[in-house]
Amino acid sequence: MSGAARSRVGLAVVVAAVALLPALESDFQRGLDSDAVIIALLVLSVVVLTGFVGQISFCQYSFAAIGAFTVGALMDGHGWSFWLALPVGVAAAVLTGVLVGIPALRLSGLLLAVLTIAVALFTDRFLLVTGTWDGFSGGAVPWHPERPSLLGAPLTGSYAYYLFVLAILCAAILVVWNLRTGKTGRVLRAVRDSELAAATVGLDVTAWKLAAFGLSAGLAGLAGALLAVRIGSVSPGSYDFLHSVQLTALATVMGVSTIASAPAAAVGTVFGPELLSGISVSSTWFPLLIGGTLIVQLVLVPEGAVVRTRNDIARLSRLLSARRGRDPAVAGASR
Amino acid sequence: MLHPVIASLSGFSLLPSYTVIGLTLGGVYALAATGLVLIYRVSGVLNFAHGAVAMFSTFVAYQISVVAGVPSIIGLAAAVATGAALGFAIEFLTIRPLTGRPPLTKVAVTIAWLLVLQTAAGLIWGSTGYHRPVQLVGSNGFTVPLTNVVVGYDQLTIFLVAVGLSLGTSALLRWTSLGVQMRAVADDPQAARLWGIDVDRVSAASWMIGSGMAAVAGVLITPLLNFDTYSLTVLVIDAFTAALIGRLTNLPLTVVGAILLGLVQYYPKAFFSQAGLSELSTFALAIITLAVVFRPGLATSRGRA
Repeated sequence: MSGAARSRVGLAVVVAAVALLPALESDFQRGLDSDAVIIALLVLSVVVLTGFVGQISFCQYSFAAIGAFTVGALMDGHGWSFWLALPVGVAAAVLTGVLVGIPALRLSGLLLAVLTIAVALFTDRFLLVTGTWDGFSGGAVPWHPERPSLLGAPLTGSYAYYLFVLAILCAAILVVWNLRTGKTGRVLRAVRDSELAAATVGLDVTAWKLAAFGLSAGLAGLAGALLAVRIGSVSPGSYDFLHSVQLTALATVMGVSTIASAPAAAVGTVFGPELLSGISVSSTWFPLLIGGTLIVQLVLVPEGAVVRTRNDIARLSRLLSARRGRDPAVAGASR
Repeated sequence: MLHPVIASLSGFSLLPSYTVIGLTLGGVYALAATGLVLIYRVSGVLNFAHGAVAMFSTFVAYQISVVAGVPSIIGLAAAVATGAALGFAIEFLTIRPLTGRPPLTKVAVTIAWLLVLQTAAGLIWGSTGYHRPVQLVGSNGFTVPLTNVVVGYDQLTIFLVAVGLSLGTSALLRWTSLGVQMRAVADDPQAARLWGIDVDRVSAASWMIGSGMAAVAGVLITPLLNFDTYSLTVLVIDAFTAALIGRLTNLPLTVVGAILLGLVQYYPKAFFSQAGLSELSTFALAIITLAVVFRPGLATSRGRA
């Protein structure tokens, strides 16, 4: 069996296990699993923005909020079907993302990062506050979007909904992975590594940056909408600035340059708080753990946990095959 | 019933007293922003944890002065010490080892500190709920002659201390030996090292002084807003906005920008009762500043942001 086929089979086994194992779990645990999958989607949105074009954002949850509140307002306020509201919500998030990205025309990355904080605080402390635009934020009574059914099968059960969000995550990963390995990926990496050089070879840096912002915000908006339906109510507190900061930290711990950090982050969010409660520490300590890990890691392992682990495994397998007297290059190629 | 527009016109009578509050708030922003600019200029790092440092130090003062009842001035001193210690810890433990790494990495490390300080403070003091302010001066005041505007002694003190410290920092940079060394490091760290300046020591000093100023700003602002761990941490965006007006380099202009921000945040409240107006004003001012002040390459010309 060739290396590519072997890794494909391995991937299929992992996906099947991830899809089937929660069948054995409680409803509550499956809810947490769905949350983790949604967080993976958000981490993926960070990977697109930070990993692909090198732009830090502190308003990913604001994009998520745009998706969530659009879906909430359309479903609960106007009686739309989920399947119509979802694309509108994602489109609204994409539009917001492009709008936020427009200052990229003239600002350096760090100043744009400052701007995203302003956007995040503007969203959760003005836009979503009762009285500003109740037709969007729901006002004093939060929206209660209900779970839809797909091809006649209701997604109201926790396992059905988990499978639904998992399928969406897999599709999103596939799309982003295709972008990364294709022409788009090369263009975006060129933009990240040197905007000047990219512009010199004729790339429209601004347009590509805006596209990355749009895609990232769209993914975040999708995640926000899925989270709204998963919880069954939409409130501003779930989408504030600190959530965005936590997300950025989580994605950076895993390593923003690789798509694999999205599932890794999901696993971390499911089992991280669990481990903490296992050693009789409250799960409210989890952000402290992420922050502490990030500090230690940036100083010692700046490339991120996933990338480092993969490099370590690669080095180990090269060492092992070299010891067996095989050509190390062959062992490297079959990965 | 009055037409809403006419009713809102009555807000004009509130403007003089809102000017007093706006100036006070602006003074505090000036102090926080000056610390931020000092750190940025000398060490080249945009400190996203600036508000979190202010928040944590302020809660130390709160613990000492409000909870334990020790005189406020001692609480303030403890806050400054905490701020300086945190500033030193951030620089020594995490910024210094990252010398030569991309700006994004340094930004990420300050974000990690934000998260750690924010969560730790939430675990120690509770993330929401009412906290009694750390009152340095009694809140009684005097009436400005020929008007009916009342100025509290606390407001006057806050304004004078904050603006005094901000302008004092400008003086420090201009006329003291440490200030000259700081400017040398800001202009060119390698040349400064060649001239025998201990770059690490100067950088650490900037982090300690800047973070100490954040701590003072945090303590001073407690009577002005319903403070909790979150509202003080996001003080960083107000400091950033003021600092942007000063192009992240010019201290006197930063002070002016901060006072402008304080006024712009408060005036709309005289006419509208909508929540979140301060955030709206900050957002608008930040966008306008970024659009007007910054042109491509300007802020990054140092290349080490």
